[in-house]
Amino acid sequence: MPRFDDQDDAQESRAFRPLLRQGPRFARDAAARPILMFEDVYKSYRPGAPVLRGMNLVIERGEFVFITGPSGSGKSTLLRLLYRSETVDEGRILFMGRDIARLKDDSVPFLRRNIGVIFQDFKLVKTWSVFENVAITLEVLGLPQRLIKARVGEALERVGLAGRGSDAAGVLSGGEQQRVAVARAIVGEPALILADEPTGNLDPQLAIDILGLFEEIHESGTTVLFATHDRSLLDVRSRRLIVLDEGKAMDVAMGIAPAEEGYDNELPL
Amino acid sequence: MLSIGTTRRAQRGMLREWRLHALSVFSLAVAFVCLGAALLVVTNLRAVEDRWAHAGRVSVYLKDSISTPDVEALKSALTATAGVKSVRYISSGQARQDFAQTEKKNLAGLSQEAFPSSIEVEVQPDMADAELTEMVTKLEKLPGVDEIETYQAWTDRLARLVRGGVAASGILALVVFASVLAVVGSTIRLALQRRRTEVEVLKLVGATDRFIKGPFLVEGSAQGAMGAMGALALLATLFFLVKGRLDGELSSLIGVEPSFLPWPIALGMVGVGAVLGALAALLGLRRLVAV
Ligand SMILES: Nc1ncnc2c1ncn2[C@@H]1O[C@H](COP(=O)(O)OP(=O)(O)OP(=O)(O)O)[C@@H](O)[C@H]1O
Ligand SMILES: [Mg+2]
Repeated sequence: MPRFDDQDDAQESRAFRPLLRQGPRFARDAAARPILMFEDVYKSYRPGAPVLRGMNLVIERGEFVFITGPSGSGKSTLLRLLYRSETVDEGRILFMGRDIARLKDDSVPFLRRNIGVIFQDFKLVKTWSVFENVAITLEVLGLPQRLIKARVGEALERVGLAGRGSDAAGVLSGGEQQRVAVARAIVGEPALILADEPTGNLDPQLAIDILGLFEEIHESGTTVLFATHDRSLLDVRSRRLIVLDEGKAMDVAMGIAPAEEGYDNELPL
Repeated sequence: MLSIGTTRRAQRGMLREWRLHALSVFSLAVAFVCLGAALLVVTNLRAVEDRWAHAGRVSVYLKDSISTPDVEALKSALTATAGVKSVRYISSGQARQDFAQTEKKNLAGLSQEAFPSSIEVEVQPDMADAELTEMVTKLEKLPGVDEIETYQAWTDRLARLVRGGVAASGILALVVFASVLAVVGSTIRLALQRRRTEVEVLKLVGATDRFIKGPFLVEGSAQGAMGAMGALALLATLFFLVKGRLDGELSSLIGVEPSFLPWPIALGMVGVGAVLGALAALLGLRRLVAV
Protein backbone atom coordinates (compact mmCIF):
# COMPACT_ATOMS: atom_id res chain seq x y z
CA MET A 1 0.00 0.00 0.00
CA PRO A 2 1.57 3.30 -0.98
CA ARG A 3 2.07 5.71 1.81
CA PHE A 4 1.18 9.23 0.76
CA ASP A 5 1.10 10.86 4.12
CA ASP A 6 4.43 11.35 5.69
CA GLN A 7 4.30 10.77 9.38
CA ASP A 8 6.36 13.66 10.64
CA ASP A 9 4.80 16.43 8.59
CA ALA A 10 1.34 15.01 8.18
CA GLN A 11 -0.44 18.20 9.13
CA GLU A 12 1.60 20.45 6.87
CA SER A 13 -0.59 21.81 4.16
CA ARG A 14 2.23 22.16 1.69
CA ALA A 15 2.61 18.39 1.52
CA PHE A 16 2.21 16.88 -1.90
CA ARG A 17 -1.32 15.53 -1.92
CA PRO A 18 -2.09 13.33 -4.87
CA LEU A 19 -5.73 13.27 -5.84
CA LEU A 20 -5.56 9.53 -5.90
CA ARG A 21 -5.47 8.34 -2.36
CA GLN A 22 -5.90 5.08 -0.56
CA GLY A 23 -8.38 4.57 2.21
CA PRO A 24 -11.86 5.95 2.81
CA ARG A 25 -11.35 9.03 0.70
CA PHE A 26 -10.36 6.97 -2.32
CA ALA A 27 -11.28 9.01 -5.36
CA ARG A 28 -12.69 6.66 -7.99
CA ASP A 29 -12.41 9.10 -10.87
CA ALA A 30 -8.76 9.70 -10.02
CA ALA A 31 -8.16 5.97 -10.15
CA ALA A 32 -9.54 5.87 -13.64
CA ARG A 33 -7.19 8.64 -14.77
CA PRO A 34 -3.70 7.91 -16.05
CA ILE A 35 -1.00 8.01 -13.39
CA LEU A 36 1.16 10.24 -15.56
CA MET A 37 0.45 12.74 -18.32
CA PHE A 38 2.86 14.99 -20.17
CA GLU A 39 1.05 17.82 -21.96
CA ASP A 40 3.04 19.90 -24.43
CA VAL A 41 6.17 19.85 -22.31
CA TYR A 42 9.05 22.10 -23.35
CA LYS A 43 12.42 21.98 -21.71
CA SER A 44 15.78 23.45 -22.66
CA TYR A 45 18.92 23.93 -20.61
CA ARG A 46 20.38 26.50 -22.96
CA PRO A 47 18.47 28.93 -25.17
CA GLY A 48 18.27 27.69 -28.72
CA ALA A 49 18.93 24.05 -27.78
CA PRO A 50 15.62 22.61 -26.64
CA VAL A 51 15.68 19.04 -25.33
CA LEU A 52 11.92 18.47 -25.14
CA ARG A 53 9.75 20.24 -27.70
CA GLY A 54 6.06 19.92 -27.07
CA MET A 55 6.26 16.40 -25.75
CA ASN A 56 3.03 14.54 -25.07
CA LEU A 57 2.81 11.22 -23.29
CA VAL A 58 0.24 9.30 -21.29
CA ILE A 59 1.13 6.47 -18.95
CA GLU A 60 -1.53 4.37 -17.28
CA ARG A 61 -1.40 2.96 -13.81
CA GLY A 62 0.54 -0.26 -13.56
CA GLU A 63 2.31 0.05 -16.90
CA PHE A 64 5.89 -1.02 -17.54
CA VAL A 65 7.36 1.40 -20.05
CA PHE A 66 10.76 1.43 -21.66
CA ILE A 67 12.04 4.84 -22.65
CA THR A 68 14.75 4.85 -25.22
CA GLY A 69 16.32 7.14 -27.79
CA PRO A 70 19.71 8.34 -28.91
CA SER A 71 22.19 9.74 -26.45
CA GLY A 72 21.27 13.31 -25.60
CA SER A 73 17.65 12.83 -26.68
CA GLY A 74 16.42 13.72 -23.20
CA LYS A 75 15.69 10.43 -21.44
CA SER A 76 17.38 11.53 -18.23
CA THR A 77 15.82 14.97 -18.59
CA LEU A 78 12.35 13.46 -18.79
CA LEU A 79 12.92 11.52 -15.58
CA ARG A 80 14.46 14.54 -13.83
CA LEU A 81 11.35 16.54 -14.63
CA LEU A 82 9.33 13.82 -12.94
CA TYR A 83 11.18 13.83 -9.64
CA ARG A 84 11.50 17.58 -9.93
CA SER A 85 15.22 17.85 -10.10
CA GLU A 86 14.46 20.04 -13.12
CA THR A 87 11.42 22.13 -13.94
CA VAL A 88 9.60 22.40 -17.24
CA ASP A 89 9.75 25.59 -19.27
CA GLU A 90 6.24 25.16 -20.58
CA GLY A 91 3.46 22.60 -20.41
CA ARG A 92 2.09 20.38 -17.66
CA ILE A 93 3.11 17.10 -16.10
CA LEU A 94 0.25 15.54 -14.20
CA PHE A 95 1.24 12.90 -11.70
CA MET A 96 -1.73 11.35 -9.90
CA GLY A 97 -3.77 14.35 -10.89
CA ARG A 98 -1.38 16.99 -9.59
CA ASP A 99 0.72 19.24 -11.80
CA ILE A 100 4.33 18.58 -10.86
CA ALA A 101 5.50 21.59 -12.85
CA ARG A 102 3.51 23.92 -10.57
CA LEU A 103 4.59 22.29 -7.33
CA LYS A 104 6.18 24.66 -4.85
CA ASP A 105 9.75 23.80 -3.81
CA ASP A 106 8.55 23.00 -0.30
CA SER A 107 6.33 20.25 -1.68
CA VAL A 108 9.03 18.53 -3.70
CA PRO A 109 10.12 16.20 -0.86
CA PHE A 110 6.54 14.99 -0.56
CA LEU A 111 6.36 14.32 -4.28
CA ARG A 112 9.57 12.32 -4.06
CA ARG A 113 8.15 10.11 -1.33
CA ASN A 114 5.77 8.80 -3.98
CA ILE A 115 8.52 8.07 -6.48
CA GLY A 116 11.42 5.63 -6.31
CA VAL A 117 14.44 6.53 -8.41
CA ILE A 118 17.30 4.27 -9.51
CA PHE A 119 20.44 5.41 -11.30
CA GLN A 120 23.20 3.96 -13.39
CA ASP A 121 25.76 4.83 -10.69
CA PHE A 122 23.60 3.41 -7.86
CA LYS A 123 24.01 6.52 -5.68
CA LEU A 124 24.56 4.58 -2.46
CA VAL A 125 26.28 6.00 0.59
CA LYS A 126 29.27 3.68 0.56
CA THR A 127 30.14 4.14 4.23
CA TRP A 128 26.66 3.17 5.33
CA SER A 129 25.57 -0.41 5.74
CA VAL A 130 23.19 -1.99 3.26
CA PHE A 131 20.47 -1.75 5.88
CA GLU A 132 21.07 1.96 6.48
CA ASN A 133 21.02 2.70 2.76
CA VAL A 134 17.60 1.14 2.42
CA ALA A 135 16.22 2.33 5.76
CA ILE A 136 16.82 5.98 4.95
CA THR A 137 13.71 6.04 2.75
CA LEU A 138 11.58 5.13 5.75
CA GLU A 139 13.52 7.20 8.28
CA VAL A 140 12.66 10.27 6.27
CA LEU A 141 9.01 9.36 6.78
CA GLY A 142 9.57 9.16 10.52
CA LEU A 143 8.45 5.55 10.84
CA PRO A 144 9.26 3.77 14.11
CA GLN A 145 12.48 1.74 14.10
CA ARG A 146 10.68 -1.54 14.65
CA LEU A 147 8.61 -1.08 11.51
CA ILE A 148 11.62 0.13 9.54
CA LYS A 149 13.52 -3.01 10.48
CA ALA A 150 10.73 -5.26 9.32
CA ARG A 151 10.12 -3.48 6.04
CA VAL A 152 13.80 -3.12 5.14
CA GLY A 153 14.17 -6.83 5.82
CA GLU A 154 11.32 -7.57 3.41
CA ALA A 155 12.72 -5.27 0.73
CA LEU A 156 16.19 -6.83 0.96
CA GLU A 157 14.60 -10.22 0.61
CA ARG A 158 12.72 -9.11 -2.49
CA VAL A 159 15.95 -8.02 -4.19
CA GLY A 160 17.76 -11.19 -3.11
CA LEU A 161 19.99 -9.63 -0.47
CA ALA A 162 18.47 -11.18 2.64
CA GLY A 163 21.06 -11.37 5.39
CA ARG A 164 23.40 -8.80 3.82
CA GLY A 165 22.01 -5.87 5.80
CA SER A 166 25.05 -5.34 7.98
CA ASP A 167 27.60 -5.28 5.12
CA ALA A 168 29.03 -1.93 4.13
CA ALA A 169 27.41 -0.87 0.86
CA GLY A 170 30.81 -0.01 -0.64
CA VAL A 171 32.12 -3.58 -0.52
CA LEU A 172 29.28 -5.08 -2.58
CA SER A 173 29.64 -5.96 -6.24
CA GLY A 174 28.05 -3.68 -8.85
CA GLY A 175 25.07 -5.95 -9.31
CA GLU A 176 24.53 -6.19 -5.57
CA GLN A 177 24.85 -2.44 -5.16
CA GLN A 178 22.19 -1.91 -7.78
CA ARG A 179 19.95 -4.34 -5.90
CA VAL A 180 20.42 -2.24 -2.77
CA ALA A 181 19.43 0.84 -4.77
CA VAL A 182 16.34 -1.00 -6.00
CA ALA A 183 15.48 -2.01 -2.44
CA ARG A 184 15.81 1.61 -1.36
CA ALA A 185 13.49 2.68 -4.15
CA ILE A 186 10.79 0.11 -3.44
CA VAL A 187 10.86 -0.06 0.35
CA GLY A 188 8.57 2.97 0.62
CA GLU A 189 6.13 1.28 -1.80
CA PRO A 190 5.96 4.22 -4.17
CA ALA A 191 3.37 4.45 -6.92
CA LEU A 192 6.01 5.09 -9.55
CA ILE A 193 9.51 3.74 -10.10
CA LEU A 194 11.93 5.65 -12.33
CA ALA A 195 15.06 3.91 -13.54
CA ASP A 196 17.72 5.83 -15.49
CA GLU A 197 19.96 3.31 -17.26
CA PRO A 198 19.94 1.09 -14.17
CA THR A 199 21.90 -1.60 -15.97
CA GLY A 200 24.40 0.71 -17.66
CA ASN A 201 27.25 -0.31 -15.36
CA LEU A 202 26.47 -4.00 -15.29
CA ASP A 203 27.46 -6.86 -17.56
CA PRO A 204 24.75 -8.30 -19.85
CA GLN A 205 23.72 -11.24 -17.66
CA LEU A 206 23.50 -9.02 -14.54
CA ALA A 207 21.54 -6.51 -16.59
CA ILE A 208 18.95 -9.13 -17.42
CA ASP A 209 18.77 -10.19 -13.75
CA ILE A 210 18.13 -6.61 -12.70
CA LEU A 211 15.50 -6.22 -15.41
CA GLY A 212 13.81 -9.31 -13.97
CA LEU A 213 13.78 -7.58 -10.62
CA PHE A 214 11.99 -4.60 -12.12
CA GLU A 215 9.48 -6.92 -13.73
CA GLU A 216 8.72 -8.49 -10.38
CA ILE A 217 8.20 -5.05 -8.91
CA HIS A 218 5.93 -4.21 -11.81
CA GLU A 219 3.92 -7.38 -11.25
CA SER A 220 3.12 -6.21 -7.73
CA GLY A 221 1.29 -3.26 -9.33
CA THR A 222 3.89 -0.52 -9.44
CA THR A 223 4.22 1.66 -12.52
CA VAL A 224 7.77 1.47 -13.89
CA LEU A 225 9.55 3.85 -16.26
CA PHE A 226 12.77 2.27 -17.43
CA ALA A 227 15.13 4.45 -19.49
CA THR A 228 17.77 2.55 -21.41
CA HIS A 229 19.49 2.40 -24.75
CA ASP A 230 20.47 -1.23 -24.30
CA ARG A 231 18.72 -2.95 -27.21
CA SER A 232 19.27 -6.40 -25.78
CA LEU A 233 17.07 -5.49 -22.82
CA LEU A 234 14.32 -4.16 -25.07
CA ASP A 235 14.25 -7.48 -26.86
CA VAL A 236 13.86 -9.59 -23.73
CA ARG A 237 10.12 -9.18 -23.55
CA SER A 238 7.53 -7.19 -25.43
CA ARG A 239 6.77 -4.05 -23.55
CA ARG A 240 5.46 -0.65 -24.32
CA LEU A 241 8.34 1.29 -25.80
CA ILE A 242 8.61 5.06 -25.96
CA VAL A 243 11.24 6.52 -28.23
CA LEU A 244 12.42 10.04 -27.56
CA ASP A 245 13.57 11.84 -30.63
CA GLU A 246 13.60 15.42 -31.80
CA GLY A 247 12.19 16.46 -28.45
CA LYS A 248 9.04 14.39 -28.80
CA ALA A 249 7.89 11.01 -27.53
CA MET A 250 6.77 8.30 -29.93
CA ASP A 251 5.07 5.07 -29.02
CA VAL A 252 6.63 2.11 -30.72
CA ALA A 253 4.95 -1.24 -30.45
CA MET A 254 7.15 -4.21 -29.81
CA GLY A 255 6.83 -7.89 -30.30
CA ILE A 256 4.15 -7.35 -32.92
CA ALA A 257 4.94 -7.76 -36.57
CA PRO A 258 5.88 -4.20 -37.44
CA ALA A 259 4.99 -4.12 -41.14
CA GLU A 260 1.37 -5.17 -40.70
CA GLU A 261 0.74 -2.76 -37.88
CA GLY A 262 2.28 0.06 -39.81
CA TYR A 263 4.79 0.99 -37.12
CA ASP A 264 8.23 2.16 -37.88
CA ASN A 265 10.11 -0.31 -35.79
CA GLU A 266 13.54 0.88 -36.79
CA LEU A 267 14.80 2.31 -33.54
CA PRO A 268 16.80 5.47 -34.04
CA LEU A 269 19.58 4.26 -31.78
CA MET B 1 12.28 19.84 16.60
CA LEU B 2 15.10 17.47 17.43
CA SER B 3 14.21 13.86 16.91
CA ILE B 4 16.17 10.87 18.12
CA GLY B 5 17.00 10.25 14.50
CA THR B 6 18.62 13.66 14.15
CA THR B 7 20.94 13.21 17.11
CA ARG B 8 21.71 9.68 16.06
CA ARG B 9 22.62 10.82 12.57
CA ALA B 10 24.68 13.69 14.02
CA GLN B 11 26.52 11.25 16.25
CA ARG B 12 27.19 8.97 13.31
CA GLY B 13 28.50 11.91 11.30
CA MET B 14 30.78 13.09 14.08
CA LEU B 15 32.20 9.64 14.75
CA ARG B 16 32.90 9.03 11.08
CA GLU B 17 34.59 12.41 10.69
CA TRP B 18 36.00 12.66 14.20
CA ARG B 19 39.34 14.09 13.08
CA LEU B 20 37.64 16.99 11.36
CA HIS B 21 35.46 17.66 14.38
CA ALA B 22 38.30 17.31 16.87
CA LEU B 23 40.34 19.87 14.96
CA SER B 24 37.43 22.27 14.99
CA VAL B 25 36.84 21.76 18.71
CA PHE B 26 40.52 22.36 19.41
CA SER B 27 40.61 25.63 17.48
CA LEU B 28 37.50 26.80 19.28
CA ALA B 29 38.97 25.82 22.65
CA VAL B 30 42.01 28.03 21.98
CA ALA B 31 39.74 30.99 21.30
CA PHE B 32 37.59 30.25 24.33
CA VAL B 33 40.67 29.98 26.59
CA CYS B 34 41.52 33.62 25.80
CA LEU B 35 38.00 34.74 26.57
CA GLY B 36 37.79 32.58 29.68
CA ALA B 37 41.10 33.91 31.00
CA ALA B 38 39.95 37.50 30.51
CA LEU B 39 36.67 36.75 32.26
CA LEU B 40 38.56 35.05 35.08
CA VAL B 41 40.68 38.17 35.63
CA VAL B 42 37.64 40.42 35.46
CA THR B 43 35.56 38.43 37.92
CA ASN B 44 38.40 38.35 40.42
CA LEU B 45 39.14 42.05 40.02
CA ARG B 46 35.44 42.64 40.62
CA ALA B 47 35.64 40.69 43.84
CA VAL B 48 38.61 42.77 44.98
CA GLU B 49 36.79 45.95 44.04
CA ASP B 50 33.74 44.85 45.98
CA ARG B 51 35.85 44.01 48.94
CA TRP B 52 37.45 47.45 48.99
CA ALA B 53 34.37 49.40 48.03
CA HIS B 54 32.94 48.12 51.28
CA ALA B 55 36.15 48.53 53.16
CA GLY B 56 34.05 50.23 55.85
CA ARG B 57 37.11 52.05 57.07
CA VAL B 58 38.12 55.65 57.34
CA SER B 59 41.47 56.72 58.70
CA VAL B 60 41.52 60.21 60.22
CA TYR B 61 45.12 61.36 60.46
CA LEU B 62 45.71 63.92 63.18
CA LYS B 63 48.08 66.83 63.38
CA ASP B 64 50.97 66.44 65.78
CA SER B 65 49.79 69.54 67.54
CA ILE B 66 46.43 68.13 68.61
CA SER B 67 45.80 67.94 72.33
CA THR B 68 44.53 64.89 74.17
CA PRO B 69 41.16 66.49 75.17
CA ASP B 70 40.60 67.40 71.50
CA VAL B 71 41.26 63.81 70.53
CA GLU B 72 38.79 62.60 73.15
CA ALA B 73 36.18 65.14 71.96
CA LEU B 74 36.67 64.01 68.37
CA LYS B 75 36.34 60.36 69.38
CA SER B 76 33.07 60.86 71.21
CA ALA B 77 31.69 63.03 68.41
CA LEU B 78 32.52 60.30 65.89
CA THR B 79 31.07 57.56 68.08
CA ALA B 80 27.82 59.51 68.19
CA THR B 81 27.67 59.85 64.40
CA ALA B 82 25.12 57.63 62.66
CA GLY B 83 26.64 54.76 60.72
CA VAL B 84 29.82 54.57 62.74
CA LYS B 85 30.50 51.16 64.25
CA SER B 86 33.63 51.75 66.25
CA VAL B 87 36.33 54.29 66.82
CA ARG B 88 39.91 53.55 67.81
CA TYR B 89 42.74 55.95 68.55
CA ILE B 90 46.17 54.94 67.36
CA SER B 91 49.02 56.96 68.71
CA SER B 92 52.09 57.74 66.67
CA GLY B 93 54.20 55.29 68.67
CA GLN B 94 51.63 52.53 68.24
CA ALA B 95 51.47 53.09 64.50
CA ARG B 96 55.21 52.78 64.30
CA GLN B 97 55.15 49.57 66.29
CA ASP B 98 52.35 48.08 64.18
CA PHE B 99 54.24 48.81 61.04
CA ALA B 100 57.42 47.35 62.45
CA GLN B 101 55.55 44.19 63.38
CA THR B 102 53.88 43.58 60.07
CA GLU B 103 56.83 44.50 57.93
CA LYS B 104 59.52 43.04 60.22
CA LYS B 105 61.89 45.84 59.37
CA ASN B 106 64.41 47.87 61.24
CA LEU B 107 62.90 51.29 61.73
CA ALA B 108 65.96 53.05 63.01
CA GLY B 109 66.14 55.17 59.89
CA LEU B 110 62.51 56.23 59.91
CA SER B 111 61.55 59.36 61.76
CA GLN B 112 58.66 59.68 64.14
CA GLU B 113 56.86 62.05 61.72
CA ALA B 114 56.40 59.24 59.25
CA PHE B 115 53.81 57.78 61.61
CA PRO B 116 51.17 60.34 62.48
CA SER B 117 48.62 59.46 65.12
CA SER B 118 45.20 58.64 63.77
CA ILE B 119 41.67 57.68 64.57
CA GLU B 120 40.56 54.55 62.79
CA VAL B 121 36.84 54.73 62.17
CA GLU B 122 34.94 51.61 61.26
CA VAL B 123 31.69 52.43 59.49
CA GLN B 124 28.74 50.26 58.55
CA PRO B 125 29.52 48.58 55.22
CA ASP B 126 26.14 49.66 53.88
CA MET B 127 26.70 53.32 54.67
CA ALA B 128 25.69 55.43 51.68
CA ASP B 129 28.44 57.20 49.76
CA ALA B 130 26.76 60.57 50.31
CA GLU B 131 26.71 60.12 54.08
CA LEU B 132 30.34 59.11 54.08
CA THR B 133 31.30 62.16 52.00
CA GLU B 134 29.33 64.40 54.32
CA MET B 135 31.12 63.01 57.34
CA VAL B 136 34.47 63.43 55.63
CA THR B 137 33.84 67.09 54.72
CA LYS B 138 32.78 67.84 58.28
CA LEU B 139 35.87 66.16 59.67
CA GLU B 140 38.19 67.97 57.28
CA LYS B 141 37.09 71.31 58.70
CA LEU B 142 38.16 70.44 62.20
CA PRO B 143 41.39 72.10 63.29
CA GLY B 144 43.16 69.02 64.65
CA VAL B 145 42.57 66.91 61.55
CA ASP B 146 45.38 66.66 59.05
CA GLU B 147 44.18 64.28 56.36
CA ILE B 148 41.44 61.75 55.78
CA GLU B 149 41.89 58.47 53.92
CA THR B 150 38.70 56.79 52.73
CA TYR B 151 40.55 54.41 50.39
CA GLN B 152 38.39 55.88 47.63
CA ALA B 153 41.30 56.47 45.27
CA TRP B 154 42.33 52.84 45.57
CA THR B 155 38.79 51.67 44.79
CA ASP B 156 38.58 54.11 41.90
CA ARG B 157 41.76 52.72 40.43
CA LEU B 158 40.43 49.20 40.82
CA ALA B 159 37.16 50.19 39.20
CA ARG B 160 39.05 51.59 36.23
CA LEU B 161 41.01 48.36 35.98
CA VAL B 162 37.80 46.34 36.05
CA ARG B 163 36.27 48.54 33.36
CA GLY B 164 39.33 48.00 31.22
CA GLY B 165 39.10 44.27 31.80
CA VAL B 166 35.44 44.25 30.86
CA ALA B 167 36.19 46.13 27.65
CA ALA B 168 39.02 43.72 26.82
CA SER B 169 36.71 40.77 27.49
CA GLY B 170 34.11 42.32 25.25
CA ILE B 171 36.57 42.59 22.40
CA LEU B 172 37.80 39.05 23.05
CA ALA B 173 34.20 37.85 23.07
CA LEU B 174 33.71 39.35 19.63
CA VAL B 175 36.87 37.66 18.41
CA VAL B 176 35.64 34.37 19.85
CA PHE B 177 32.19 34.79 18.26
CA ALA B 178 33.81 35.49 14.91
CA SER B 179 36.10 32.49 15.24
CA VAL B 180 33.22 30.18 16.19
CA LEU B 181 31.29 31.35 13.14
CA ALA B 182 34.31 30.94 10.87
CA VAL B 183 35.62 27.64 12.24
CA VAL B 184 32.30 25.87 12.65
CA GLY B 185 31.00 27.31 9.40
CA SER B 186 33.89 25.98 7.38
CA THR B 187 34.00 22.65 9.21
CA ILE B 188 30.34 22.11 8.47
CA ARG B 189 30.77 23.11 4.86
CA LEU B 190 33.59 20.60 4.60
CA ALA B 191 31.49 17.92 6.29
CA LEU B 192 28.69 18.71 3.87
CA GLN B 193 31.10 18.36 0.99
CA ARG B 194 32.26 14.98 2.25
CA ARG B 195 28.70 13.83 2.74
CA ARG B 196 27.56 15.03 -0.67
CA THR B 197 26.21 11.65 -1.71
CA GLU B 198 24.42 11.31 1.59
CA VAL B 199 22.68 14.66 1.11
CA GLU B 200 21.88 13.80 -2.48
CA VAL B 201 20.35 10.49 -1.40
CA LEU B 202 18.36 12.17 1.35
CA LYS B 203 16.92 14.65 -1.12
CA LEU B 204 16.05 11.87 -3.53
CA VAL B 205 14.09 9.88 -1.00
CA GLY B 206 12.12 12.99 -0.06
CA ALA B 207 13.83 14.38 3.01
CA THR B 208 12.88 17.94 3.85
CA ASP B 209 15.66 20.50 4.15
CA ARG B 210 14.97 20.55 7.88
CA PHE B 211 15.58 16.83 8.10
CA ILE B 212 18.82 17.16 6.16
CA LYS B 213 20.13 20.16 8.06
CA GLY B 214 19.19 18.88 11.53
CA PRO B 215 22.27 16.71 12.18
CA PHE B 216 24.63 19.37 10.84
CA LEU B 217 23.15 21.91 13.24
CA VAL B 218 23.56 19.46 16.11
CA GLU B 219 27.17 18.87 15.05
CA GLY B 220 27.92 22.60 14.85
CA SER B 221 26.29 23.15 18.19
CA ALA B 222 28.21 20.29 19.78
CA GLN B 223 31.48 21.67 18.41
CA GLY B 224 30.81 25.09 19.90
CA ALA B 225 29.82 23.68 23.27
CA MET B 226 32.72 21.23 23.36
CA GLY B 227 35.18 23.98 22.44
CA ALA B 228 33.95 26.06 25.37
CA MET B 229 34.00 23.07 27.73
CA GLY B 230 37.51 22.13 26.70
CA ALA B 231 38.67 25.68 27.33
CA LEU B 232 37.01 25.72 30.76
CA ALA B 233 38.62 22.43 31.71
CA LEU B 234 42.05 23.69 30.69
CA LEU B 235 41.59 27.00 32.49
CA ALA B 236 40.34 25.30 35.64
CA THR B 237 43.34 23.00 35.70
CA LEU B 238 45.75 25.91 35.28
CA PHE B 239 43.87 28.03 37.77
CA PHE B 240 43.91 25.49 40.58
CA LEU B 241 47.54 24.59 39.89
CA VAL B 242 48.61 28.23 40.17
CA LYS B 243 46.38 28.86 43.13
CA GLY B 244 47.81 25.88 44.96
CA ARG B 245 51.33 27.28 44.44
CA LEU B 246 50.55 30.78 45.63
CA ASP B 247 48.33 29.62 48.44
CA GLY B 248 47.71 32.25 51.12
CA GLU B 249 50.13 34.89 49.88
CA LEU B 250 47.97 36.27 47.12
CA SER B 251 44.76 36.28 49.09
CA SER B 252 46.31 38.05 52.07
CA LEU B 253 47.73 40.65 49.71
CA ILE B 254 44.47 41.55 48.01
CA GLY B 255 42.11 40.64 50.82
CA VAL B 256 40.05 38.14 48.80
CA GLU B 257 40.45 34.51 47.92
CA PRO B 258 40.85 34.18 44.10
CA SER B 259 37.96 32.18 42.73
CA PHE B 260 37.32 30.36 39.44
CA LEU B 261 34.66 31.53 36.99
CA PRO B 262 31.25 31.39 38.64
CA TRP B 263 28.82 28.77 37.34
CA PRO B 264 26.55 31.15 35.41
CA ILE B 265 29.49 32.51 33.43
CA ALA B 266 30.95 29.06 32.74
CA LEU B 267 27.55 27.75 31.65
CA GLY B 268 27.02 30.92 29.66
CA MET B 269 30.22 30.29 27.71
CA VAL B 270 29.11 26.76 26.90
CA GLY B 271 25.65 28.01 25.95
CA VAL B 272 27.03 30.74 23.72
CA GLY B 273 29.31 28.16 22.10
CA ALA B 274 26.36 25.87 21.42
CA VAL B 275 24.10 28.58 20.03
CA LEU B 276 26.80 30.16 17.88
CA GLY B 277 27.87 26.74 16.62
CA ALA B 278 24.33 25.99 15.48
CA LEU B 279 24.07 29.43 13.90
CA ALA B 280 27.37 28.97 12.09
CA ALA B 281 26.21 25.60 10.78
CA LEU B 282 22.96 27.14 9.60
CA LEU B 283 24.87 29.86 7.75
CA GLY B 284 27.27 27.31 6.29
CA LEU B 285 24.34 25.24 4.99
CA ARG B 286 22.48 28.02 3.23
CA ARG B 287 22.96 26.30 -0.08
CA LEU B 288 22.47 22.57 -0.03
CA VAL B 289 23.48 20.41 -2.92
CA ALA B 290 20.85 20.79 -5.59
CA VAL B 291 19.30 17.53 -6.73
N1 LIG C 1 22.32 20.25 -16.54
C1 LIG C 1 22.43 20.43 -17.86
N2 LIG C 1 22.88 21.59 -18.36
C2 LIG C 1 22.99 21.78 -19.68
N3 LIG C 1 22.66 20.88 -20.58
C3 LIG C 1 22.21 19.68 -20.16
C4 LIG C 1 22.06 19.41 -18.77
N4 LIG C 1 21.58 18.16 -18.64
C5 LIG C 1 21.42 17.69 -19.88
N5 LIG C 1 21.78 18.59 -20.80
C6 LIG C 1 21.72 18.43 -22.25
O1 LIG C 1 20.42 18.05 -22.57
C7 LIG C 1 20.41 17.06 -23.56
C8 LIG C 1 19.65 15.84 -23.06
O2 LIG C 1 20.38 15.25 -22.01
P1 LIG C 1 19.90 13.94 -21.28
O3 LIG C 1 20.87 13.65 -20.20
O4 LIG C 1 18.49 14.08 -20.90
O5 LIG C 1 20.03 12.88 -22.45
P2 LIG C 1 19.90 11.31 -22.39
O6 LIG C 1 18.86 10.93 -23.38
O7 LIG C 1 19.69 10.85 -21.00
O8 LIG C 1 21.31 10.86 -22.91
P3 LIG C 1 22.15 9.55 -22.52
O9 LIG C 1 21.54 8.42 -23.26
O10 LIG C 1 23.50 9.85 -23.01
O11 LIG C 1 22.08 9.40 -21.04
C9 LIG C 1 21.85 16.77 -23.88
O12 LIG C 1 22.17 17.46 -25.06
C10 LIG C 1 22.61 17.32 -22.72
O13 LIG C 1 23.84 17.82 -23.15
MG1 LIG D 1 20.82 9.80 -19.56
